[in-house]
This record gives sequence, C-alpha cells and structure tokens, in this order.
Amino acid sequence: MAKTQRAWYSGMLTTEDWWAVWLGLFFFGLGLLTLAGVDLVGWVAYPKKWVFSLPDGAIAKKIVTMDKSFYALGGKYSQTAKDTYKALGPIGSILITYLVFTVATTIGAYFQKWDVKKYLAGWTIIFFLTYLVWFIGHHAFFSASVVDLKKSHFPDMFTLSLGGGASFILALIVGLIIGNFFKPLANYLSTAAKPEWFIKTAIVFLGVKVGYLPIKAVLIGSKLGAKGSQIGHEMANLTFDLFVAGAAATIVAYLIFWPGVYTISRLMFKLPRKTAAVLASAISICGVSAAVATGGAVRARPIVSIMVSALVVVYAVIELVILPGVFTHVWPGTSDPIVAGAAMGMAVKTDGADAAAGELLDEFMRQKVEKESGGKIVWMEGVITTSAVMTKIWIDMFIGLWAFILALFWVYKIEKHEGDRVPFSEVWFRFPKFVLGYFAAWFIYLGIFFGPGQAGGTPEGVSILKAAKAGAVPVEKGFRKLFFMLTFMSLGIITDFRKLAEAQFGKMVWVYFVALVFYIIPVAIVIAYLFHHGMTIPNMAAIPGGVIN
Amino acid sequence: MAEETKKQDTGTLSGGDMDTSSVLENAEEWEPIETKLVVWSLVAAGFFLIIGLMLAPSSIFH
Repeated sequence: MAKTQRAWYSGMLTTEDWWAVWLGLFFFGLGLLTLAGVDLVGWVAYPKKWVFSLPDGAIAKKIVTMDKSFYALGGKYSQTAKDTYKALGPIGSILITYLVFTVATTIGAYFQKWDVKKYLAGWTIIFFLTYLVWFIGHHAFFSASVVDLKKSHFPDMFTLSLGGGASFILALIVGLIIGNFFKPLANYLSTAAKPEWFIKTAIVFLGVKVGYLPIKAVLIGSKLGAKGSQIGHEMANLTFDLFVAGAAATIVAYLIFWPGVYTISRLMFKLPRKTAAVLASAISICGVSAAVATGGAVRARPIVSIMVSALVVVYAVIELVILPGVFTHVWPGTSDPIVAGAAMGMAVKTDGADAAAGELLDEFMRQKVEKESGGKIVWMEGVITTSAVMTKIWIDMFIGLWAFILALFWVYKIEKHEGDRVPFSEVWFRFPKFVLGYFAAWFIYLGIFFGPGQAGGTPEGVSILKAAKAGAVPVEKGFRKLFFMLTFMSLGIITDFRKLAEAQFGKMVWVYFVALVFYIIPVAIVIAYLFHHGMTIPNMAAIPGGVIN
Repeated sequence: MAEETKKQDTGTLSGGDMDTSSVLENAEEWEPIETKLVVWSLVAAGFFLIIGLMLAPSSIFH
C-alpha cells in the first residue's frame, strides 16, 4: 500500500471533524464573553412544554401556552441583556438563531467544498423543519412528566412523559419519512443533511456542559443552604459522595461493559471487528457520541456510527418508558434509591433519555416511599435524578479518553501488519479531532471554576460563576440540543430502510437487545450497588417546615 | 481505495454511503489480540474496582 506524507495540520479547513471543532469552539468562545459582561449567545431559541390552553386553576410554570412555546435562553439566564433577549419573543429568537447558524455553517460548507447554494437551501428547510418538530415534540402530551403536571397544577392530564426525548424521536421519524417516502426531497436535502458534523459539534458543546456541572452544583447548593443548614450539610456530603462514587463506578462499568458487548457482538453475532467496536462503545458508554467517537478512532465506515446511533435513540426511549417502573417496583426498589438512580445513568445511553428516566424514577420512588410510610418519609426532590445524571456525566467525560485509547490500540495492535512500523502520526490522523474541542471546553470551564471562581468559596467567586453560567447555559443547553435535533433529523433523511433491511439491520437490533437486557442493565445495578449501597436521601418530613412540595 | 481514503479524510457522510453490506458481514476470525483486549479490560476493571471501593466513601467497603 502506497503511503503519502500528510502534514499534521492537513484537513483542518476541509473536514467535518475539524469544522466541528471550529464551530463548537467559536460559540464556546462567544459564551465566555459573558465573563466580560458581554452576552452574545442568549438569543438561541429554546422550547418549553406547551398546551393549546391552560385549564382553570393551572399555572404557567413548567407548561405554558402555545404562544410562549419558545423563548430566547438569554431572557432567563442573561445577566446583562435579559430584557433585550426577552423582547425577541419566540419568532425573533428563532430567526436570529437561524441567521447566526446559517452564516456559521455555510462558511463551513464553503471550506469543505460543498455546493454552497444547495447547502443553503437544504439547511434552511432542515432548520425550520427541525424547529417545527421541536415545537410539536414539546407538546405536553408527548413531553410533560408527572412532576411537570404537578407543578403546573393540572395533574390529571394524560401524557407520554417522554421529556425532551419525544422531540428526538419525532425528528428521527420525520427524517426517516422524508428519506424513505420522499426520495427526491431527500436527495435535494442531502447536501445539508450532515448528521456526523452536527453530532460532533454537539459533542464540543457537551464539553461546556461537563465543565459547567460543578458551577451549577455550587450555585444550586447556595440556594439550598437557605432552606436549612442541616439539609445543606447533608446535600453537600451527598453530592460529594455521588461525585466520587459516580467516577469510580463509571470507570469500572466501562471496563466490564465494553469487552462483554464486544465479545457478544463478535462471537455470538459474528460481526466484523470495527462494527463490534462501535456497537460496544455505543451500548457501553454514551450512545450516539461514543458511536461517533469510536467510529472515528477505529476508522469504521460512517454508516456504522449512523446505524448504531439510530438504534441508540430507539432503545433509549424504550428504556425511558420501562426502566423507571422496573427499578422502582422490582429491582433495586425503594430500599436503595440511589443505587437505582446510579444504575439508570449507566444503563440509559442518551443524556436526554437518562435525565428524563431519572426524573421519572425520582417521582415514582418518592411517591411510593411516601405512600408506604404514611407520609413519615418524604425524600427531597431531585436527589435520585442527580444520581442518575451524575454517572451519566462521568460517562460523557470519558468518551474522548476511550476514543483515544481505542485509536492507539487499533493502530498499534489490531491493524499492525508484520514488519510494518506504524508512525505515531497515524494515531493523530485517526484521533477524532472534535474530541479536542470537547476537552478544551470542559477544561476551560473547569479552570474558571477553580481559578477566578474560587470554587464558589467567596462572594466574588460566586459572582464570577454566575457570569460564567450566563454564557454556558445557552451553549450547553440551547446549542447542544439544537444540534442533537439537527442530527436526528439529518440521520433520518439520509437513512434508506430498504438498504438497511437488505443488510440485515435486524442482526444489530438483536445484539443491542441481548447486550442491554442480559448484560448491561444487570451489571449496571450490581456496580451501582457496590458503590452506592446504603446512601440515603435527606428526609424532609423529619425537619420542621422541610416539606416544601 | 483512493475513493475510500478520500472518504476517510473528509469524514463526510451522505446518502451514497448507506451501503451497509460490508459492515455487518464478513466477520474476521477472532484473533488472540482480541482475547488480550477483552481479558486485560476485565483485569483493569478488577483493579479499578478494588481501588474504587477503597476510595469511595459510599462503597460497601466503608
């Protein structure tokens, strides 16, 4: 095989991988400007759960009416331009979001030598279709949880309780309908339907989320402190314990999940190595993101990551519907609520579905224990959700590291031919570059937390952390979820079921099912038990005035 | 091969790449290096399990 010399910087202006870094870091940088008092990211339009009209006695807290179904995140989180962003309204914020991302992504399309005119037209259709689906998916029927209904004072409405996951599924379904039943349109949109680019960019934004986590914890903690020093003290200890236990459990889970699923894929289902590696990462680690990162590391064909990503989304929603009930009523049950939460974080493979499943679990468990104890035990709301999110966050953090280790292993061990010397540069070329953006965003926010933010230990530090939050939230919440939505829509558009069926897609469905049900979930519960068994949630009923729900 | 290299370089995915026939079929033989990968992962898991159980204040060791 003839080898050509490549400069280390080759592809920096021409590949999706690098453009995910540029796009991600550009907006991350814009977010950082809030530290200097300039908010240039609060315009992003974000959905709220909505209904056509609120019933009598209801309050528009978690669920609003249709005309308020989108808002500029800066209208809520900005410190310096709150009124300006509020004034944008739903349509204004969507139009600005469109304009900004149209300019940014079209520049990327130009440098990647795509047909810019076709990209622009396709992007426009995909963008507005995505927002339309985002809007529909946030109707309370699809998205509202029991908690949302309770807070909005109309608990009797029947909903599917899918949270933000409903929008992802709808986007995938709409994309699939276009891709399979409106093929001329799908072909027309294909220049702009770039799921890999969108997801890689979303992963850079995910780095902001991970870096922002300690900031969020400190700012929430400062609020909890006002409700009583006892609860504050217990929560501080619990949060720290969850943080440490989550890290340890996640590392162990990784190292048990991955080889198990890889072996199942290879020996039971006879899948090729690269496909098995991508599937193992997706089922073991963090679904879509891990599939894309591992696909890049082992140089699997892009279709592998795409197929696996589609499976991850579908299974995550199935888990979201089934697992909270099973964990509450069967195993681990209310005797070990934190074990159940932590296991959820290790078993559900998308951030959105995990957070939604954690929230459902939180609600189910609290209701059950309160009912069984006759009101003598009332757990603080959100602790079980936090335990589910904590393990998931740790899992998110390790995506890049695992991709790097796999890239090294694949280059030096799996594909090394006799007598061949593999240059170290090959590791660099295989390394998924968008992971650099992910780490940069994460570490810089972490630096802000421990540096000028002083870990929230002083009033000045808290003030800086609040300024950082104003820039981080639109990026980690608004931009990230928008790019996830674009990913699912694009994924559907370019997916041709006929070809997938011809290629025995069902085989992969069964690998996923067997691995998840008979391996991942039981092992997740056992590991969660080892690290979280016995952790207790503060009992609000034991504190005078503690029951605030 | 040249086309494949180009595809890898750009990382671009389009509808034309949806041919899945070669990604689910033609599995390679299981090789000893894969056994090593699996076994060493599990050994590492055991190592980190013990370390983690000792360090995490909430573990069953405490």
